[in-house]
Amino acid sequence: MSSETGKILTTDGIPLEVSLKKAERKNKIKAFLLVAPLLLFLLITYIFPIGDMLMRSVDDKMVTEMLPKTFKSMEKWDGKELPPEEVFESFYLDFQKLVEEKRDGKLSTQLNYTKNGFKSILKKLRRKAKNFEEGNYKEQIMAVHKRWADVEYWRAIQRRAPAYTSQKYLKGIDMYKNEEGKIVSVEEDRRVHRILWLRTLEIAFFVTLLCFLMAYPIAHLLATLPMKYSNLLMICVLLPFWTSLLVRTASWMILLQQQGVVNDFFVMIGLVADDSRPEMMFNKTGTYVAMTQILLPFMVLPLYSVMKTISPSLMRAGKSLGGTPFVAFWKVYFPLTIPGIGAGCLLVFILAIGYYITPALVGGASGTLISNQIAFHMKSTLDWSFASAMGLMLLAGVLAIYWVYNKLVGVDNIKLG
Amino acid sequence: MKKLSKLLLVLSFALSISSSAFAVTVASWGGAYTESQKLGYGDPTAKKLGVPINWVDYSGGLSEIKAQKEAGKITWDIIDVFAMDTITGCDEGLFVEFDFDKDFPPAPDGTKASKDFFAPMPSKCAVGNILYSWNYAYNTKNVSGTPKTIKDFFDTKKFPGKRAIYKSALTNLEIALAADGIKPGKGGKKIYKALETEKGVNRAMNKIKALCTDPNGGCVFWSAGAQPPELLVSGEVVMATGWNGRFFNAEIGEGAPIKQVWDGQGLDYEYFVLVKGGPNEADAKKALAMMTSTEGLAGSAKYIAYAPWRKSSLKVMAAGEPWYKDGKTNMVPQMPTAPANTKNYFLVDPIFWADNGTELGEKWEAMKAGL
Repeated sequence: MSSETGKILTTDGIPLEVSLKKAERKNKIKAFLLVAPLLLFLLITYIFPIGDMLMRSVDDKMVTEMLPKTFKSMEKWDGKELPPEEVFESFYLDFQKLVEEKRDGKLSTQLNYTKNGFKSILKKLRRKAKNFEEGNYKEQIMAVHKRWADVEYWRAIQRRAPAYTSQKYLKGIDMYKNEEGKIVSVEEDRRVHRILWLRTLEIAFFVTLLCFLMAYPIAHLLATLPMKYSNLLMICVLLPFWTSLLVRTASWMILLQQQGVVNDFFVMIGLVADDSRPEMMFNKTGTYVAMTQILLPFMVLPLYSVMKTISPSLMRAGKSLGGTPFVAFWKVYFPLTIPGIGAGCLLVFILAIGYYITPALVGGASGTLISNQIAFHMKSTLDWSFASAMGLMLLAGVLAIYWVYNKLVGVDNIKLG
Repeated sequence: MKKLSKLLLVLSFALSISSSAFAVTVASWGGAYTESQKLGYGDPTAKKLGVPINWVDYSGGLSEIKAQKEAGKITWDIIDVFAMDTITGCDEGLFVEFDFDKDFPPAPDGTKASKDFFAPMPSKCAVGNILYSWNYAYNTKNVSGTPKTIKDFFDTKKFPGKRAIYKSALTNLEIALAADGIKPGKGGKKIYKALETEKGVNRAMNKIKALCTDPNGGCVFWSAGAQPPELLVSGEVVMATGWNGRFFNAEIGEGAPIKQVWDGQGLDYEYFVLVKGGPNEADAKKALAMMTSTEGLAGSAKYIAYAPWRKSSLKVMAAGEPWYKDGKTNMVPQMPTAPANTKNYFLVDPIFWADNGTELGEKWEAMKAGL
């Protein structure tokens, strides 16, 4: 067949193929325009903020630009002993320029993030530097405050030299890069972030487990009861959703504290002696109880929606084929509910690792979680780059769990309803 | 129809401009506190100035104003902030620096504003608003004997039972040292000098640790201001540190069996700051001067047990006793700045906490994890 006869032409002489593509392109554009608002929305509310967070957490150009001379003269310094006069002089010159531009406050905030104690000594330096004589800056600066003669503070300044840094991430796991470029842990009595990460994971894990154990029977009951009872039960499950989080947390406090209602009841029926009331609040128990109750609906709903679709005849078939009720449940019913379990567990776990108001109120000494730390740096210290770094680490953790889940169970299996 | 809608559009636009140009917006903590500010000096100032004052609630911290500035749309003129935030915000260039004696009126007897205020300002951007105190109180029904000093708070032999303390290191380290025998000195200077050293910090942490691990003692950590009186009333703890205004409300307002102890307590402060580049900076500055005048500050103490920053305000209150809104409670003895209550106290040092807060916070959490 020759090419000329092979091409089918439309009435106006354009090959059909081209004409068809043209028509399809129009449709494609239309389709794209239809989803464009959603795409834009995702971009603006999701991708862009996460990108911004990522930038903030590694970007350290501000300090690099503030102390150009200092960092240049520090290149030759080995960081072992106090830096030479040259470094002191260039630091003084950089600092004076910042004072003139009224940017010295920003520098003190930034350096204080790296090492505490910079704020006051920079303020003092600003006051004293007005009367500095030319030359011998090392002695003059060291005379301002004894911390200026401490090599640790100069190392801290040196650490801020690179324009991009992974410091904030290292700090998130209680580590830092020392002057030899090695990554080491901070002093033992300050290793708090690791404790908080582990505690957050522990609490999220056990809350998920407790939610699962309690939600499974409830969801099963909901799915099998006749409509008029199950609707009522459903309202009971959803009721906590309509109550404020703080109210629910506060009511647990009233119920569970040592002089609380539950303990009073135990003493009344003679279960425990009045002077040895168990502590059920202001420790991890309190956190587990309150958080499990708050997150329970997020487990019940996906489980219920999956169980609703399982035909009761399957269990009957299992039993009639000779299985005991347990075998029938385990071999037939349970595997069918796995999509719901996956969805519920992921949902509860992800919500639980971000919780912090409830644990802070009922958790007592163990009530601080990693999210408290993020909020602290967002609101009080204004160290947004550190907060971003920890936020991203949390996000990475969630994605890792999602990945593991995908490998083990398969994400296609998740069913929210 | 089209014309009408256009007209409406223009009108609403003009209205939105004018309303934001003429009103002054103050961000504060909400609740009974903002109510006392609004009734005490907000409304009188608005009336005198002829400019409406809007009060909006926020939950503290500088993240919101920083975000407003970064987005290029500042909506607040004045913010009620903690001392530490005035320093951080001033350093970040968020707030206006004051020329103190020029910007704020003198006391009625002619004392300069800078001399009339209870203590020097922590930064050039701050003007004092109220002082409150972190003292402890006890439940009179659950304690045999009368705790009188800060040492008694840590004395589990004489006064067995659990204590409630604040969840983070702020003020806990100070009272621990005060109870451990360090005399606070003028304004608490000696305590902060001790806390500058590793040894002092460890000493304070150990004191707290000893209290919390004592079988006769034990600690409950509170995080919300409403908790301490509640924990005392329910009998969950026998003593609790907390804010004097909350204890006052429980004791006077609700008649709870609570008594406050004025010894070794920490005086803390609230300040106003003026936002740089706020929507109505000029009027806001005038309003701020009126609100923090002698009569202005005394006004808010009519509604809440927090002390006005100006010493001259106390005289106004003493002359007008009973000053409290119920018409029968004398307010001056309830003030954390009253001479009878300031025999042994420390001023919470915002510069110290701005400097060392993060690292001490980490140590504190690590200590708590080992309890």
